[in-house]
Amino acid sequence: MELNGLYVVLRPLRVEDAEVTLAWRQSDRAILMSRGATTVDEQVAWIASTPETEFNFVIQLHSGQTVGMLSLINIDETHRRAEPARFLIGEPDAVRGLPVAVEALKLLYELAFDRLGLNRVHGAVVAENQQMLKWHLYLGMKEEGRLRQHKYIAGRFHDIVCVGMLESEYRTVALPRMNALMRGGIHEQGTHQEGVG
Amino acid sequence: MIAADVVDTVIFRALEAVNAEREPDDQVLISSSTPLFGVDAAVDSLEFVSVITDVETSMNLEHGMGISLADDRAMSRPVSPYSTVAALRDYILELAQEA
Repeated sequence: MELNGLYVVLRPLRVEDAEVTLAWRQSDRAILMSRGATTVDEQVAWIASTPETEFNFVIQLHSGQTVGMLSLINIDETHRRAEPARFLIGEPDAVRGLPVAVEALKLLYELAFDRLGLNRVHGAVVAENQQMLKWHLYLGMKEEGRLRQHKYIAGRFHDIVCVGMLESEYRTVALPRMNALMRGGIHEQGTHQEGVG
Repeated sequence: MIAADVVDTVIFRALEAVNAEREPDDQVLISSSTPLFGVDAAVDSLEFVSVITDVETSMNLEHGMGISLADDRAMSRPVSPYSTVAALRDYILELAQEA
């Protein structure tokens, strides 16, 4: 499944993406994410083993350049919930000033709520990752709890903040804000967006 | 009525928080003309939302102004309030006048 937006396409993660996605995961930007694979072979194995019940996407510009990754995992059809995860912009310079991250998340939420009919999405953010936490809270998530010293990353324990958003909150809070930020990007890009649409 | 320099201070402080997360050799140059959005933007998407969040929170908690900087109204202006620090300040002052 591919999800098409104005700026980006979310297309399925493939084993050919192993090298670039491993580099992103090993960059300083991803220091507070779980480390996972340490070699390209391990990353290939991980990509090949991702279950078909997950949606693992690469964020790709219309030019073809891959700039990040994003997943929807732990999809529970009984309780109609899922977890956005592995959200990483790996090529920040390529998307600077473009609402690429906003659109990628918007496309994922459309998949979750409009196509899959879910009632809730939820996630966990390392408390120290303040920008990612602010990002999710501003775009509709609500803080639901804290797991103290829940993860051991980079040599020490970290608290985890649990966040969640209901379908009603997606429509009343997240979607208007994401649309406004998207329009802000279009406003500022002017003719630039014609080249990527 | 809130003064322009007070709003500037709030926005600058939000950008200083962004700088605190960056390496010393990768600091945002903070001024009224700092571009916030668009091809010349000084901040990325996460940082931009961080700035908007911090500014909204500060305006609310410190100045009693409950404002939303990401809504349809903001986008209907001829000049995007996100284009520069000065444009964002002017938009906040406009909202303050109406409050």
